[in-house]
Amino acid sequence: MGKRITVQEAVGMINDGDMITFSGFTIWRRPMAVIYEIIRQRKRNLHLIEVNSGTHGDMLVGAGCVKVWESCWIGHELFGKLGGNLDRKVRNGEVITEDYSHHQMLLRMAAGALGIPYIPTWASRGTDILNPEYDMLGKLGMRDGSNPRISRQKAQWVEDPFFEEGTLIHVPAARPNICIAHVQQVGEDGTVRVWGQKYADEEAIKAADKVIVVAEEVVPEEYLRREPSQNLIPPYLVDAIVEQPWGAHPTGNFGCYEVDGPFMRDFYNKTRTQEGFDAWAEEWIFGVPDFDAYLEKLGYKRLQSLKANSAYKYSNQAKRGSR
Amino acid sequence: MMEKNYAKPGEYKVIDLLAVAAAREVNDGEVVFAGTGLPMLAIMLAQKTTAPNSYLIYEAGTIDGKSLHLPASVGDARCVYQAAVASGLYDVFGQLQRGRIDLGYLGGAEIDMYGNVNTTVIGDYTKPQIRFPGSGGNPDINSMARRTVFIMVQEKRRFREKVDYITSPGWRVRKWPGGQMVSRQEAFGKTFRGGPSAVISNMAVFRFDEETGLMYLDTVHPGYTVNDVLNNVDFKLDVSRVKGETEPPTHEELHILYHEVDPEGIFLP
Repeated sequence: MGKRITVQEAVGMINDGDMITFSGFTIWRRPMAVIYEIIRQRKRNLHLIEVNSGTHGDMLVGAGCVKVWESCWIGHELFGKLGGNLDRKVRNGEVITEDYSHHQMLLRMAAGALGIPYIPTWASRGTDILNPEYDMLGKLGMRDGSNPRISRQKAQWVEDPFFEEGTLIHVPAARPNICIAHVQQVGEDGTVRVWGQKYADEEAIKAADKVIVVAEEVVPEEYLRREPSQNLIPPYLVDAIVEQPWGAHPTGNFGCYEVDGPFMRDFYNKTRTQEGFDAWAEEWIFGVPDFDAYLEKLGYKRLQSLKANSAYKYSNQAKRGSR
Repeated sequence: MMEKNYAKPGEYKVIDLLAVAAAREVNDGEVVFAGTGLPMLAIMLAQKTTAPNSYLIYEAGTIDGKSLHLPASVGDARCVYQAAVASGLYDVFGQLQRGRIDLGYLGGAEIDMYGNVNTTVIGDYTKPQIRFPGSGGNPDINSMARRTVFIMVQEKRRFREKVDYITSPGWRVRKWPGGQMVSRQEAFGKTFRGGPSAVISNMAVFRFDEETGLMYLDTVHPGYTVNDVLNNVDFKLDVSRVKGETEPPTHEELHILYHEVDPEGIFLP
């Protein structure tokens, strides 16, 4: 039981100014219980470094927790065409954005996980992503080495010396202080099992110095070790464990529950103004003491309609489309 | 072969035609990277009609899934059903960079006369008027697949001589570290594999000249004229090579779209 902590204690492990990353993909398997608590505890100046972002990232931005957003994508898929909070805050100059492409962000996280300072790629040549005029951290003097987690340069070009295939892009490793991952199962010691698509979880977890795993359920290690090939992460890479059923709502979780589309669409619609976001946060974050109270506010009926069918691994009850 | 039973204008919606036209870009046996929305409709329709042996890869990490129910996003649990492999981004982007992907479907907010696409900002990147979602895998797929097809909304403000920000590379792109505009072939050198082969809008299908890299009008959808297209393009568009009308959907294709691919109305009305 040594690693078991509460959501509140988990957020206590995050410091203002930390570079931070998450499990999941766009609107799937994001550690929302922790996101809400980060906002409740009013963490500030976070540097999000994400393979891709989504509802969780836009929420942190809206709440004023984020100084730098470094990624390739933000939005709510079908339920909101852009990150309303990031859009507004970038227009107002309140958040710094640093764009890389999806594959570049993935490779940056992989380089972090591999313990190397950079990695070469062909991805995304010919674009303005590599335009030095748009190196925002550089323009703001943040690549001066004062923060050892921010690389000295955004990208570099190097001739292939081995096969002479041409000029490659070198992208710097992502080196987050902390990764917060929401998964289906974790063992009592920290062995992680992820069902369904793994997204970039392995790279994000291994790149970070500290790892908090939030799971739908904590299970005996012995159970996970009956099928080791199904496991993703060994226990010593996990610093803390939180058990929080439904902890990824309103994002979806393979085998557990659906994306709560109407909830997400309502959030997006309200994020078009800061007042709208603040009112939303008052109702759903500051207005409830913790995630259990949030689940009670959502209600049994709503959660039941999202619950995955154990054969399909998704809900066959939630109404999704127009017909 | 049976004669095709085409639907008449009024018997189908624009989105149906987009899905059908996009589906016709797939050759049987190809490995296809598809994003959320219309690309899913297109590849699934193709798999049920003209390209039954094509393979579908979703960016979030599923390979050759046989979804029972239409996924609402590429991260959806529905992508995984009966997949050959459910892995992650490292696997599928790695295969892309390795040159294993034949065709990618993409979209964008703006496109220019060379097929450069912007999904990042309107206005100056450092002080934007609108911040869009950003690149996602668009530039990765578009720079490393053998062929890409773009699905776009036809509006003057979206078909521009120059886009505000090149998120995804067309046929005339920036060569870094200098940043000069050169042909895609020159910028990519030995690892050039291909590029945008078609742009399908709600009015027409466009293709690109192999020499100049410039967009030209290929076919116009039933119900629209060349002039309609010209009025919704903000650059000098070559219309000298128009082949005629875009092939409309058949009743069979419409039936498959509405009854097999998207019966719940996730993307279709």
